[in-house]
Amino acid sequence: MSTTQMLKGIIDGCLLAIIKEKEVYGYEMAEKLESYGFHSFSEGTIYPLLMRMQKEELITSTLKKSTAGPKRKYYSLTAKGELELKNFIERWQNLQSSVNEVIRQYTITKGGHQDET
Amino acid sequence: MKRELPLSKKSQNFIEDLRIYLFSSGKQWDEIEDVINELEIHLSEAEKNGKSIEKIIGKSPKDYMEMVSNEMPIDYRTLFKSICLIIFGAFSFKVFSDLLAGTLSYSLLEVTGYLAIAVIFIAVVFKGFKYISTISQSNIIRGVLIFVISLLPLLLFLGVSYLDKMISTPTIHFDNIGSFIIGGITLLFVIGISIWAKTGVLIIMIALLTLPDYFLNLTALQYETQLILSMLISFGGIAIYLLILSKLEKSK
Repeated sequence: MSTTQMLKGIIDGCLLAIIKEKEVYGYEMAEKLESYGFHSFSEGTIYPLLMRMQKEELITSTLKKSTAGPKRKYYSLTAKGELELKNFIERWQNLQSSVNEVIRQYTITKGGHQDET
Repeated sequence: MKRELPLSKKSQNFIEDLRIYLFSSGKQWDEIEDVINELEIHLSEAEKNGKSIEKIIGKSPKDYMEMVSNEMPIDYRTLFKSICLIIFGAFSFKVFSDLLAGTLSYSLLEVTGYLAIAVIFIAVVFKGFKYISTISQSNIIRGVLIFVISLLPLLLFLGVSYLDKMISTPTIHFDNIGSFIIGGITLLFVIGISIWAKTGVLIIMIALLTLPDYFLNLTALQYETQLILSMLISFGGIAIYLLILSKLEKSK
């Protein structure tokens, strides 16, 4: 499975967390994601996601003047979005502890075999 | 006010392709401009930081366009409006030019043929432009495809008139009064649709395409001169009209 496929659904939650921190515009979000270590995804994929989240009323946007060039679209969380973020964090924590558990068991048994040989 | 962003040719082409793709997918104009603006800003900032366009939209522009398109609702109202404008435009143009040349008479084959042409043309335009926006950047291939698409209705029209001469189907002839009534109804339709769609494009196009012919016919000029003059006035007029429209759009 490619990283892009694994990221589906996770990036949404990460975007919500980034927007929660402070009002941001698209390029800033992509930079933030990259600084956290998401290197392999195409930055433009955040726009379809933002459109969907806006349709689902998780986020809202306002146009603001910028010093360089045309107006930027800044995103902020709605109450519904905050709730979704909370749910995402919970779901992620359950998921990651399960996945970690599976991997831990796997390395123990694998390690055991290696000891025997 | 819109300020131009510094963008590489490749990014500019991609943005234009995306616009055509979304438009021919029947998306709403405002929403298209919205997402395009955002992407333009993103691409320009990314380029300033030395990132390639692939880093932004991935390896396949087509996949990316599809992804964006899937998140946008289809604007059936605008789609319906454009289709009505094209169909009524074609029909009223035919009625008016026939009316200025004499009384009206249409065979069953002509009427169904014209309807079929309108449907085929609309389908081909939307599918064709969507396809053109996703193929490689070769301008020659694109040019040829657009040429074929714009030639298609003409060829189909010729085909229908040829068939009409070969096969005789029931024909309705209108006398003077009948022709005038049909003309009046068509005129009302054209005005009504123009008000509904809030555009003068139909009226101006029809006037530019039919009136020069008619008025030149009244003059004592030679037939060839008339033909050339009428073409010049029609296409020159349309060109000027489109130029004014784009100027108005830009100054918004």
